[in-house]
Amino acid sequence: MHEESLIRSLLRQVEVIARQHKAVAVDEIQVEVGPLSGVEPLLLQDAFARLKDSFPWSGAKLSVQEIGLDIFCRSCENESQLKDFRFVCGYCGSTVLQVLRGDAFRLLNINLQVDDSSSESRIGSHCGSEL
Amino acid sequence: METKTVIVNQDILAEKKRRASAQRDVFTQQGTFVVNLVSSPGAGKTSLLQATARHWSNRLRIGVLVGDLATDRDAERLRPYVPVEQLTTGGACHLELSLVQQGLSRLPQQAYDFLFIENIGNLVCPASHDLGEHLRVVVLSTTEGDDKPGKYPKMFRTSQAMVISKSDLLPYVPFSVDAATADARLIQPDIVTILTSATRNEGFDDWCQFLEDARAAMLTERDAYSITAPLASLHGAP
Repeated sequence: MHEESLIRSLLRQVEVIARQHKAVAVDEIQVEVGPLSGVEPLLLQDAFARLKDSFPWSGAKLSVQEIGLDIFCRSCENESQLKDFRFVCGYCGSTVLQVLRGDAFRLLNINLQVDDSSSESRIGSHCGSEL
Repeated sequence: METKTVIVNQDILAEKKRRASAQRDVFTQQGTFVVNLVSSPGAGKTSLLQATARHWSNRLRIGVLVGDLATDRDAERLRPYVPVEQLTTGGACHLELSLVQQGLSRLPQQAYDFLFIENIGNLVCPASHDLGEHLRVVVLSTTEGDDKPGKYPKMFRTSQAMVISKSDLLPYVPFSVDAATADARLIQPDIVTILTSATRNEGFDDWCQFLEDARAAMLTERDAYSITAPLASLHGAP
């Protein structure tokens, strides 16, 4: 579904974060796609390849992690992963379920390169969590 | 140079979803129950709305926004019955919140009990776009095959009701209402099925009652919340 529009949205958000961290390069953008997200990973990569030259850090790579449809059963309180789109709890057969993961297109992590020679980097910037 | 990993862990469409929720809250506060009507082309959305408007016969205040790539044919069909605005998308294959909000400002500014948004005829893309509605209804006609729900998982998962339209054609087509309902319930166990025939004017008692009950439930929940909410929030959001 409109992977180009999604990539544009993604790159705008990555750019904001990269600038906050004064990145000199963006190595990798890690995203997550689930079965009910309406997004097709292959088309996402195609769109990224077409659009990334317009991105300030064109050396970036897009890694798409495909996840399953994880649900929480409100009846027996078990978590499980649906094998297909049958919304039935595998443990107790209840249909009173909540989707935990798998219905969204998420930005997970961004691997950046920052210039650590500036005083600000020596002090350390604390926007976002760092590994 | 130093490598750094920034953990974001956010829905890329979070802002869009937030705006849709905010719009839904505005509709709720206004007491307007909003229905997003989706289907493939020709399933009978406009006919359903014509028949709905005739059934209610001005007893309720209805407004309609109808989306198409081109022409205002659907708006013209509805104009004799209800205030209606045509949203023309040009090339876009689904309605988005921003276009709906533009259309809202062009409708006569009055109180509405119901706002129907007739989406672009498309079972794929509209599934992913929240228009701020309270209820999403998918129209599946008897000529489309009873095996369609499983083929469009996101659309049927995100719909709360399925209108099986053109029920007058059931004797002539290999469509099983039970099979279509069972297929839809695999992915959306709570989906309500309602049979209609716009040409025979059948099923509209059930359909309109379903809508009125849904609106009543929305108002009850709204009023219950505002009674229990702290006084400060009744005087406007911080």
